Amino acid sequence: MADLDTKPRPGASRRDFLRGSGLAAASAVISGPARAALDEAAAEAREAQDAVPVLSGQVKITLKVNGQERHTTVEPRSTLLDTLRHRLDVTGPKRVCDRGSCGACTTLVDGAPVYSCTTLAVSCQGKTIETLESFDTGPEGVPHAFHQNDGLMCGYCTPGFVTACKALLDRNPHPTLEEVKQGLNGNICRCGTYVGVLKAALAAAKSMKGA
Amino acid sequence: MASWPEHPRLIGTRIPRVDGMAKASGRAKYPSDVRPEGMLFGVMLYSPHAHAKITSIDTTAAEKMPGVKAVEVIAKAGATLRYQGDDIAAVAAETEEQARDAIAAIKVVYEVLPHVVTEAASMADGAPKIVNTGNVRKGRAITKGNVNDAFKKADATIEGTYSAPVITHVCLETHGLTAKWDDKDHITAYASTQAVGPTAAELAGTFNIPFTNVTVLTEVMGGGFGSKFGADLWGRTAAQLAQKAGAPVKMFLDRVQEHLAAGNRPSASGTVKMGATKDGRLVAMEAHTHGTGGVRGGAGFPLPYVYDVPAASRTHDDVMVNCGGARAMRAPGHPQGCILMEAAMDDLAEKLGMDPIDFRIKNLAPNDFHTPIYLGELAIGAEAIGWKENRKPRGQGGKGPIKKGFGVALHQWGGGGTQDKQVTCIINPDGSVELKSGTQDIGTGARTILAVIAAEILGLEVGQIKSNIGNSTFPTGQPSGGSTTSPSMAPPCYSAVTAARDALFAKVAPALGVQPADLDVKGGKVLVKGEPKLTWAEACRKLGTMPISELGKFQPGLASGGVGGCQFAEVEVDVETGVVRVKKIVAVQDSGLILDLLTWESQVYGGVIGGLNYGLFEERIMDPTTGVMLNADMEMYKLAGASDIPEIIVKAYDPPEQKARGVIGVGEPPTISTAAAIGNAVSNAIGVRVPVWPMSPRNVLNALAAAATEGKA
Repeated sequence: MADLDTKPRPGASRRDFLRGSGLAAASAVISGPARAALDEAAAEAREAQDAVPVLSGQVKITLKVNGQERHTTVEPRSTLLDTLRHRLDVTGPKRVCDRGSCGACTTLVDGAPVYSCTTLAVSCQGKTIETLESFDTGPEGVPHAFHQNDGLMCGYCTPGFVTACKALLDRNPHPTLEEVKQGLNGNICRCGTYVGVLKAALAAAKSMKGA
Repeated sequence: MASWPEHPRLIGTRIPRVDGMAKASGRAKYPSDVRPEGMLFGVMLYSPHAHAKITSIDTTAAEKMPGVKAVEVIAKAGATLRYQGDDIAAVAAETEEQARDAIAAIKVVYEVLPHVVTEAASMADGAPKIVNTGNVRKGRAITKGNVNDAFKKADATIEGTYSAPVITHVCLETHGLTAKWDDKDHITAYASTQAVGPTAAELAGTFNIPFTNVTVLTEVMGGGFGSKFGADLWGRTAAQLAQKAGAPVKMFLDRVQEHLAAGNRPSASGTVKMGATKDGRLVAMEAHTHGTGGVRGGAGFPLPYVYDVPAASRTHDDVMVNCGGARAMRAPGHPQGCILMEAAMDDLAEKLGMDPIDFRIKNLAPNDFHTPIYLGELAIGAEAIGWKENRKPRGQGGKGPIKKGFGVALHQWGGGGTQDKQVTCIINPDGSVELKSGTQDIGTGARTILAVIAAEILGLEVGQIKSNIGNSTFPTGQPSGGSTTSPSMAPPCYSAVTAARDALFAKVAPALGVQPADLDVKGGKVLVKGEPKLTWAEACRKLGTMPISELGKFQPGLASGGVGGCQFAEVEVDVETGVVRVKKIVAVQDSGLILDLLTWESQVYGGVIGGLNYGLFEERIMDPTTGVMLNADMEMYKLAGASDIPEIIVKAYDPPEQKARGVIGVGEPPTISTAAAIGNAVSNAIGVRVPVWPMSPRNVLNALAAAATEGKA
């Protein structure tokens, strides 16, 4: 867990936030250590101005998806999910709520699960993007456990559950049932497949251990 | 009369679904996943107002936007929009981002009209009339016996007011399709539908082309629950945009419009007066109920429900509100009827001082086929939940703030199949076997059970059967609704496979110098008088170049309808916060002969979890002032997550006489009584009736506060 937290995450950096919020400009009326910190941030921001271009219109990007370099054109507002689905035909991750509350779009970015519907594609350049299409479909893989334990019905939430489950087992290979529930709480199923999903997650943990 | 094998090898065992790996590996292509060459993205413009008239609509700017290829106006100037989410226009563009921009650039001037979005507002004196015929559509009063006289015989009478909210389907794959014109009068539609045939018919009718020119494909789909039986306006619009633009168009609703316009389960409210003699026999019921199905009505539900009430009178009003129209939702009407009936049953048992199970048993109709089923199921369920040892009388849920309670409820469902559907079974010379039918699998396992039947009859493994469904050009299959798919499809599948097997025997027997009647199949081999002689592949090779193709139709004796089930709930209620935790649910369900126990259990678990959502979390919340839905999303519209799932015990009630009834569907029955059982468990725990579903903290605390005011708690 600690490992994950130190990794850079997709999205805005502290620097971008300060620049965007106008706090740097307000530093004139602040004194002391706070001012020094803001001055430093403002300097960093000026320096960054050249390094981080402002994107608009159609942007050519390269994404590393499931081990392949994929080139496409997006808009700065295009989400990672829509880019994968609409431009690259990587349709494993699904669009369901489209606002980061149901987990059907879960994708691994640099190994960490993210809601790809609320992640911008342009922020994922240079990162490793994995969708469940790249997972091991053999008897030790998570998809196999979902299949055998009937952890799916209509199957539309399944990619998100499978990906969240893989991410959970990557960082905690020996989860208890409670930990599995916690690890999958960011995903919603409407058919009511949770019983099979929980069995599948525990079975996957077991077969990964070779037990 | 045909019959299922007496000692099946596969039928009734746990068989993983045949498309399970495709779904679990992300490789299954849903209708919303396909992207034919040159495909455009369609986006809908829908009403922001609950009730408005369009003064003017101008799409000029939108048409000139980058990437825009077609614009379709649905509601022209003068048209009335009757709910938030009502359709106005649609755009197709090269990217979805461009289509959304174009939607935003359509200039609409609205004349906002007065609205009503709650039943109270709609029924209030002086409410704006939103339907010409009046906001309240009075149903025909139904009376059985002399109710007033019957009530005089009652030793105990209760009168309760109970209600359940509107909920929405929340299909994870929203409504829609991808439309592709193959030429000027042939269309292929990848549709997220529960009915490929009717969807094809709707498109054929819309464009005045022959049914044979339409192909609707639904390889897999992301949930329907009763709300996806046609192309719908959105699908027809996609096809129109595709025609205009000369390119395929994908049109799937956004999550907000899905909540607003793509169907819902109507609410139910009512006053139920019910009386019984002191030995626990019901004598009379009088119920006045109402509900809303939005702008179209359709909020009826069965009452009395399950129990034998000698004298009953019932009135029901459909209340119109400026909200999207109701659609069938998993056992339409029954969950509502079950809540009102079972709450009243529990309250009356309480007043009589009787055990709720004993009271229920006393009031099952003596000559009804359900009655022995209920008796068997109640015994199993009571044992599994520990009713005798654990359940305390109402209000004795414990000393601390966390109160424990137990509840029970019964349900029934007709189900049963149609007798006119068809399946083709093809046996190829290379030994491959294919089933074809124009039904579809909405997540129930329909594709898998057909393969199970074929493998059973042909002595093969399930993986050797290609179960090819979800195509409107195949022999007519059953729409997936009413728990009718399995009982409609299993008999023609049996017929087709049996006929194909017999045709193979007829071809092979002369080559072996025996009679067809000497042949059998087992373990991938063809047997002569019980001795393995040929492998399946060797036998099929004798077909030469000509495959066998047999069309199977209905045969009597293989399917049936009509089920009863019961569910028990154990809950803990925190009377300080109002939070209800369901600890355990027991579901006992009959459904005749179970074909695949694994997918059968999933259906029952899923039904129970759907019922848990209805009992604890779900409600559509409308703002009476602005007329908009406040929780058209998936965070404030509450659905259970993994941590909300209690221990669920599923028991199949399938003694030999039940198996002998043949195949019966199970999609709907197990979702009916869960919410009622949970509500009864809550009142058992805290000592007062929570009359308003769901059992949310607010509704629980309100009930406790009301009881405190009345000096009851």
